[in-house]
Amino acid sequence: MAKQADSHEEWLKQQAEDSKRKQEAFMNGIAQKLRRPRVTSAPEHPFRGAPDFWQAFEWPLEERVDRFEANFKAAGGHVERLADMEAAKRFIAEKAEALGAKYVIRQNQPELNGLGLEETLAASGAEVRVWNSEAEENWRARAAESDFGIVIADYAAAYTGSVTVLSSKDKGRSVSLLPTVLFVLIPLERLKTRLGEILIRFDEAGREQLPAGIHFISGPSRSADIENDLTIGVHGPGVVHALLIG
Amino acid sequence: MSTAGNASTVKERAELALNDEFLRKAVKFTTERLRNGKKQASAEHGNWDDWRERGRQIRLHTIAHLDYYLNMFANQARANGVHVHFAETSAEAVKLSLEIAQRKQAKSVVKSKSMVTEELHLNHELESIGVEAIETDLGEYIIQLAGETPSHIIIPAIHKNRYQVADLLSREAGETLAPDTSILAGFVRKKLREKFLEADIGMTGCNFAIAETGSMVLFENEGNARMVTTVPKTQITLMGMERIIPSWADLEVMATLLPRSATGQKLTVYMSGITGPRREVDADGPDEMHIIIVDNGRSLQLGDPEFQELLNCIRCGACLNACPVYRHIGGHAYGGTYSGPIGAVLTPALQKNVAEWDDIANASSLCGACYEACPVKIPLHEMLIYLRRRKQEQGHGNAAESFGMKGFAAVMGSSKRYAGLVKLGKLGQKLVVRDGGIRLKLGPLKGWNTYRVTPSLPKKSFRDQWGTLEQELRHGLKEVAPDVRSRMEAIVQGRDSKGGNGHG
Repeated sequence: MAKQADSHEEWLKQQAEDSKRKQEAFMNGIAQKLRRPRVTSAPEHPFRGAPDFWQAFEWPLEERVDRFEANFKAAGGHVERLADMEAAKRFIAEKAEALGAKYVIRQNQPELNGLGLEETLAASGAEVRVWNSEAEENWRARAAESDFGIVIADYAAAYTGSVTVLSSKDKGRSVSLLPTVLFVLIPLERLKTRLGEILIRFDEAGREQLPAGIHFISGPSRSADIENDLTIGVHGPGVVHALLIG
Repeated sequence: MSTAGNASTVKERAELALNDEFLRKAVKFTTERLRNGKKQASAEHGNWDDWRERGRQIRLHTIAHLDYYLNMFANQARANGVHVHFAETSAEAVKLSLEIAQRKQAKSVVKSKSMVTEELHLNHELESIGVEAIETDLGEYIIQLAGETPSHIIIPAIHKNRYQVADLLSREAGETLAPDTSILAGFVRKKLREKFLEADIGMTGCNFAIAETGSMVLFENEGNARMVTTVPKTQITLMGMERIIPSWADLEVMATLLPRSATGQKLTVYMSGITGPRREVDADGPDEMHIIIVDNGRSLQLGDPEFQELLNCIRCGACLNACPVYRHIGGHAYGGTYSGPIGAVLTPALQKNVAEWDDIANASSLCGACYEACPVKIPLHEMLIYLRRRKQEQGHGNAAESFGMKGFAAVMGSSKRYAGLVKLGKLGQKLVVRDGGIRLKLGPLKGWNTYRVTPSLPKKSFRDQWGTLEQELRHGLKEVAPDVRSRMEAIVQGRDSKGGNGHG
């Protein structure tokens, strides 16, 4: 078994060498076809990003809330504005009770850790698992069997009705993807107007700071592939609750 | 593989499509819906032409400096821990993909939508080494079960109705499924869940690749692309070498143009930026990630002033929905991986075999609707003309057509010759005119008369009447006939009382 792994490593190394050689040939070929020498320093890019008139565009908070709600609902999602995290907990507990949820998985985020979801949901017979809280567990399978997934959004954009979630050790990509029902908690100060306000942060952060997965979610999973008839919940969550907190 | 069977020209394939009543209706319905969605979404967003122009500029800039940005992307992706590969030809890309699958001893590969893998016929190749390849996009899954190829870039199973889908899925389920969309989709969800969890490799295409951070971006609605990039241990992404944009800031422009143009959505349900494999501490995401950068004829467009802008395409499908020809004949008639106006240009451009694909350039009315619809303003209708010209120059033209064109020039060059010929025509047509039209399907009239009736030459042509008309104008037209006048006045009165011209 170890030998196999070694040889695969060797193969990858060999491929990397080949790839670098080929990369040079590829780039030289491109320059040649463009009939100029290779471009090796950053060219002037005068059209970077959205048009100028768009860059300064921003809605006041209440309008952001209204627009986010309208857009998210239009895409088939549900939106609630709640006073605080306690209210969010009550909302989730009511849904768990009403739908008879058995398994719940949540991100390992500080705002959720202090909430006592485990005790509250246990009362209605639901077991809450915390993502990646034990090393040996098969977390993908745990997420796949969950009725509810609970995450806190890193950002949200009102103009498109989208929430953004970033992956990390404590924030699984599966938690917002595999469960049947998804709850996304959005602290109000993270709600922006435009996508660009969020995207620019990834440029500013730079490659080394980026997580493996950055996901924008704008409603429940959907398809119109059979006779244009809209179906909800094809692969991802079919019910998505966006809870605006604050 | 294709439903088009053995029909080898666009014309033959189109005849097949035109005979299929359902296909024609379905294609029309879907494309109308998508087109209206796009019109609404772009109008609502506002300043649409400014955004299109910005999108075009970003794409132009990137392609003009492709060596710089692609090089940067490859280096950054490698720094993220991705295994980057370069494939000049489809054969090389296939070889690399199969080698990875074999090294990983893969039994199955789950795939999300990728036009590049369609170009490579990769599913077929994977099957040939005993690896099951499963399309997981609902529409792609359906046509894979049917053993067909996609007929629309956004809605691949556009040509199937739900009864046909129910038959296909029932065979897979081993029980009869009702032709109800939610039941059918529910079956697919359950079936593919198992496939995602047991697959060894997840395979994706790539909508955009961000040079500065080495990230790849996917747009989708179902969540299957997220599944494919989250659950299996190995991820392989096949990407056309021109998919690059410089930065995340530029992604805002593409995210504004692509979903609105494709389906009329403000954003697809999922937009995912994947930057390298799973981090050491993460509990999901692939352990090993490969990106195969594919040329396969793309670089042939570089430095070609007429076709370089083809590389700006963001694969939204808006030109298909706008095209009157596509709306009638559907995607399979085009016979290549890409259909519609973009396919009519891209297919021969990528393959550099104008002769074989010559008739595809004729599957267009050159009306320019594709250009109007294109979110990055690719002048597809002009490219179709360039293509026809090149075909002509290379001697693959239609002999009758060039003879006709030369004759046309000779006749139109002289009014005397023209007048003489029309007179001759009036005499000659007496043999073939019936009910004021010519239905003869012979000689130069064959193509036209297959679908239409050529009007007969009038006894008195416009030119003949010109003298009389001119005289009438000079001497002033007579007063309008009294009955016509009173009718018009009545209409005007009725309009006043209702108001708003009756348009509400």
